Amino acid sequence: MDYREKFEMALEKVQKAPRYTGGEMNTSVKEWDEAPLHFGFCFPDTYEVGMSHLGLKILYGLINRESWSLCERFFMPWTDMIAIMKEEDIPLLSIESRRPLKDFDVIGFTLQYEMSYSNILAMMDMGGVPLENTERGEKDPIVVAGGPCAFNPEPLALFIDAFMIGDGEDVMTELNRVILQRKKEGWCREKCLRELAKLEGVYVPSLYDVTYEEDGCVQSVVPNCAEAQATVKKRVVTDLNNTYYPEEIPVPYTEVVFDRIMLEIMRGCTRGCRFCQAGMLYRPVRERSLETLLHLADRLQEATGYEEISLSSLSSGDYSCLPELIRELMKRMKDKRVSISLPSLRIDSVLKESLEETQQVRKTSLTFAPEAGTQRMRDVINKGVTEEDLLEKVRDAFRGGWNSVKLYFMDGLPTETEEDLNGIADLARKVVGEYFAVPKDQRARGLRVTVSVSIFVPKPFTPFQWEPQDTLEVIREKTEHLKHVLNIKGVTFNWHEPYVSFMEACFARGDRRIGQVLRKAYEKGCILDGWNETFRFDLWMEAFRDCGLDPAFYANRRRERTEVLPWDHIDSGISREFLLREYDRSLKGETTRDCRKGCNGCGLQKWKGVCGYANAGSV
Amino acid sequence: MLAVFEKSERIRHIGHLDIQRSVQRGLRRSGLPVAYSQGFNPHILITFASALSTGACGKREIMDVTMAEDTDAETFMQRMNRAMPPEMQLTEARPVDDRHPSLMGSLRAAVYDLTIREKDQAEKLISAIPAMMEKEKILTLRKTKTKLAECDIKPLIYALRGRDCHVYATLALTERESCKPQMLLEALKAEAGISEEVRMLVTREALLGENGAGELIPLEKL
Ligand code: SF4
Repeated sequence: MDYREKFEMALEKVQKAPRYTGGEMNTSVKEWDEAPLHFGFCFPDTYEVGMSHLGLKILYGLINRESWSLCERFFMPWTDMIAIMKEEDIPLLSIESRRPLKDFDVIGFTLQYEMSYSNILAMMDMGGVPLENTERGEKDPIVVAGGPCAFNPEPLALFIDAFMIGDGEDVMTELNRVILQRKKEGWCREKCLRELAKLEGVYVPSLYDVTYEEDGCVQSVVPNCAEAQATVKKRVVTDLNNTYYPEEIPVPYTEVVFDRIMLEIMRGCTRGCRFCQAGMLYRPVRERSLETLLHLADRLQEATGYEEISLSSLSSGDYSCLPELIRELMKRMKDKRVSISLPSLRIDSVLKESLEETQQVRKTSLTFAPEAGTQRMRDVINKGVTEEDLLEKVRDAFRGGWNSVKLYFMDGLPTETEEDLNGIADLARKVVGEYFAVPKDQRARGLRVTVSVSIFVPKPFTPFQWEPQDTLEVIREKTEHLKHVLNIKGVTFNWHEPYVSFMEACFARGDRRIGQVLRKAYEKGCILDGWNETFRFDLWMEAFRDCGLDPAFYANRRRERTEVLPWDHIDSGISREFLLREYDRSLKGETTRDCRKGCNGCGLQKWKGVCGYANAGSV
Repeated sequence: MLAVFEKSERIRHIGHLDIQRSVQRGLRRSGLPVAYSQGFNPHILITFASALSTGACGKREIMDVTMAEDTDAETFMQRMNRAMPPEMQLTEARPVDDRHPSLMGSLRAAVYDLTIREKDQAEKLISAIPAMMEKEKILTLRKTKTKLAECDIKPLIYALRGRDCHVYATLALTERESCKPQMLLEALKAEAGISEEVRMLVTREALLGENGAGELIPLEKL
């Protein structure tokens, strides 16, 4: 029996077969021989998570659009399927043509969160691709990766041949062209990697040597060949209107996490929250024009039949013509029975009325993210939300018939004290108070306030990249304290187990050596770490011990301002001076203005014509 | 509009609710003038003759779509087939008026092709057919929501024969009583003395209704 037959048999036995079977609308792309270059797009998590991801849809469309390249999808199978695959010796197969991963010329992983790293190893392993770049031969695929976590590529440097840093739309095609040329001209792997290293925004880790100080800190990361650039500059697409956006996207049969049209209205964010890595990495802010968006919305709706369009960006409320966009979308989509999901935070009152008339907003839960409980703490993290703002919106919502509010916070933020934790409870209590202040006959029944507190993870390229994460012990104490103070009628408290956040902190700011820990942990059986039921903290700790590395060195250590950081050879456009300045201001509780009010000199102003808000010398 | 569509082998694991949603989205993509329900969450007015279970393919599944404007069959077919994935293509469409009897109410039986994956199992099962059909009662277990109950499926089997690796069966399928292919298989296994697992592919070939003369004919022809 060949593996495809065995795979068919496996489908009869697994829990959710549809996540493996494909055949979705807008996915029957090309015959294998139609295009010379075969790209395997790997999402290192389950189908349901991967198919909710916008980046997958963009690159899938982009690669398949070129006549010379073909893209098929791979996802991380669930444990029941993995067990059968192991037993029956079935390789990891693409969704479209059910070919093993190793048959592709290039395989690309998207790096959205650190806790998916073990899945990357698992997928390569199951797909017949040797795990480390030094183990791969001439016939093996070139393994590439991109996405936000690629900004600190070092933890994956042993496993990935080439990283794409920054916006993927342009560099993806450039990279594929090089690999196509390799195929045509029969270049050896080494030559191909060196050619890739010449591309702007491409980092080939094997072409760099890392040295360490005696205390374990990185001493230097330097190129070991002429083709490698000393620092790798992130790619930025400057005009989103002229950047590829798919007009046809796959429509899964089964429900996935985000089962709707996602319209990326802008990229980047001007607010400058100091904990937020995305806010730094995706700078500068770039908007798609109203015209482009309306065109895309029409096309996507026709191609998918979806019932819902959601506006996607880091801070959709800041989009400059949001009211016009929403009004126009609602007008066009009304007859098609398509609802528009909105950034709930900033609906002006006129809009709210027209919303209520036209499509009866579903009064589900409203979400707010004050992130911290006291004004002092919010100033430290530069989160420009005041208590009055928040309470006003909540009041409006309760008067408007909502009864359910979700509040998101973080604990473990730099300089946090008990008072800040108590502030979370105070705020929750005030929200409850707003509800009861609405006369009984005017409010919806059954108040539900959910307070979710996640654990702060310091990330590269943020002003807090030098900060330690709270130790597990401290986090546990804080959680106990929060449980105590948040014992409020009408309030549900959701907290996170600290272990995953601790691992995330290790890998977010890890160096090249931590890759060994990843491999060890995988060999011990760690996979699907983003899922409670499969995460094995004990095995991770064992792996650290086996490799002689201390997780606290990565997670809980305050880094010297002069230290070479493992990602210093990656140029995100944001300067170290700016990050240090922001760090200092944060410790003094000073806020920094929104870029729309004036440039703060983050470093990007030096890249000519990249940031639309950067006026010379306005620091 | 009455339409006949296929659920291909590749997507046989997609459940009925997801198939329904996919057809709805297909209709929305097609731009055809379909009628929507009123109210909070408007949906297209559409009924399916019968839910096809997860794991089974269907050759001639039937739906009835309420149109907002008159539409001819050809346009409907063309637009829908462009709007549906290759795994769910339409093979026939026919305008019917509102007085057309309800699909579900007219449904009497279904024709199945059970493809048995193992050859020797297929042989044993097929050779057990005559003996089983001789019996006065064919007892097998029926799963209900809460329990397993024994029942006699003999009156529910309208036709049964086998060839090569296929068992062809016409089985009762109404709102009140029906015989699932799995129940038939269990009965056949018992008769053939097979206790191990039998892997089979279920294909529902057609849905049948009853005409004025009391004959079973394809539901879409009623
Ligand atoms: S260059 Fe200036 S305006 Fe642009 S993102 Fe940086 S700080 Fe903000």
